[in-house]
Amino acid sequence: VSETRLERGLALVLVVGVIASAALVGIGFVSSFFVGWTGGWPDQSPTDFSGLAERLFALQPLAIAQAGLLLLVATPIFRVAVSVVGFASERDALYVALSAIVLVLLVLSLGLLR
Amino acid sequence: LPSCLRPSPPSRDIVTGVPAELSSAQDLLLLIISIGAGLIGALGGVGGGLIIVPVLTLWFGVDVRLAAGASIVSVIATSSGAAVAYLREGWANVRVATFLQLATVGGAIVGALVVADVPTDVLLILLGVVLLLSAASQFFKLAEVPGAVSGEGGGGRLRLSGVYNSIRLGRPVEYAAQRVASGFTLMVVAGLMSGLLGIGSGALKVVAMDTLMRLPLKVSSATSNFMIGVTAAASAGIYIARGYVDVELAAPVVLGVLAGALVGARLLPRLTNRQVRLLFIPVLLVIAAETLLRGLGFGL
Repeated sequence: VSETRLERGLALVLVVGVIASAALVGIGFVSSFFVGWTGGWPDQSPTDFSGLAERLFALQPLAIAQAGLLLLVATPIFRVAVSVVGFASERDALYVALSAIVLVLLVLSLGLLR
Repeated sequence: LPSCLRPSPPSRDIVTGVPAELSSAQDLLLLIISIGAGLIGALGGVGGGLIIVPVLTLWFGVDVRLAAGASIVSVIATSSGAAVAYLREGWANVRVATFLQLATVGGAIVGALVVADVPTDVLLILLGVVLLLSAASQFFKLAEVPGAVSGEGGGGRLRLSGVYNSIRLGRPVEYAAQRVASGFTLMVVAGLMSGLLGIGSGALKVVAMDTLMRLPLKVSSATSNFMIGVTAAASAGIYIARGYVDVELAAPVVLGVLAGALVGARLLPRLTNRQVRLLFIPVLLVIAAETLLRGLGFGL
């Protein structure tokens, strides 16, 4: 029964994450046709995610789409975090440990190579 | 596909890590092709990635790593979307997914870390082999016989077992995983391929759970979808850090593949399994042949 609640929580995380990130990527993509991708940063490489906050405040289409992509990558990570909490509420120590290891690996893969 | 639809002649000397420069027309063409890839992928039960990576590499002349970078983020979108539907049906087994994610995430991190050092030819040959395997697994499903589901097993303390409602049998069916070590090992390979090629490796994951671990096909497909997003997120983080996610490619690919997959999911119930596979297998075989030939050094 509690597993159903966990599954509902997981589904909600996935829906919200995918819709919000697709919306951001879509806004960036569409606006790039009108004002170009890079805005006030003509030398900005489309593969470079650095300085995202500053470019986001300037509403650069590239930055909006990049924020969407980062949110998309974060969605499964949130999902794993929710399952850590879910297994903890079921007092399932083995699976709290297993999902926590997965979570640590994911966070490392995001931060490891900066 | 006829050559007139190809946006540019494939370049033979592919340079690693140089962002692709696309015109607005090519951006739109890429969006349309991605919708097609997402549609075909959803019908065939593979993510759009398996189709979009060779298309970007062979037809757009994009470096295979940048193609993988665009694909891997679209894989997260489609698998998460599909996982929601499966979770609501109660088919995905969260314990099985959590345990096997250790294997796929570990493999994906290793794959994404070494992809820069693997020669492009080798990546293309691996991609061709995975395409052929996916076509083959579709072919054998033409005569789909559900495997016997045993009550024994389940991996001891791991409790890799569960109950799902079989629509075909009209009653709940209990299942328990067999050959857990073999399944885990194949999952490491699936993760490695995902990290190297930017694909979801859904076909390999389903084989590991369905054929090796003897989980019901519905449970295998649902759990595989549930795991793909997590596996892809591990690769995607490293791809972004390494500069392999080019937004000009990734934005139309993510939007197109997601839209195509949504349409495909609506279309799927109206088609018979046989129709789907007769459409899907030739597409996979043609792309596989083209990818393998390129990997082996025959310019097309």
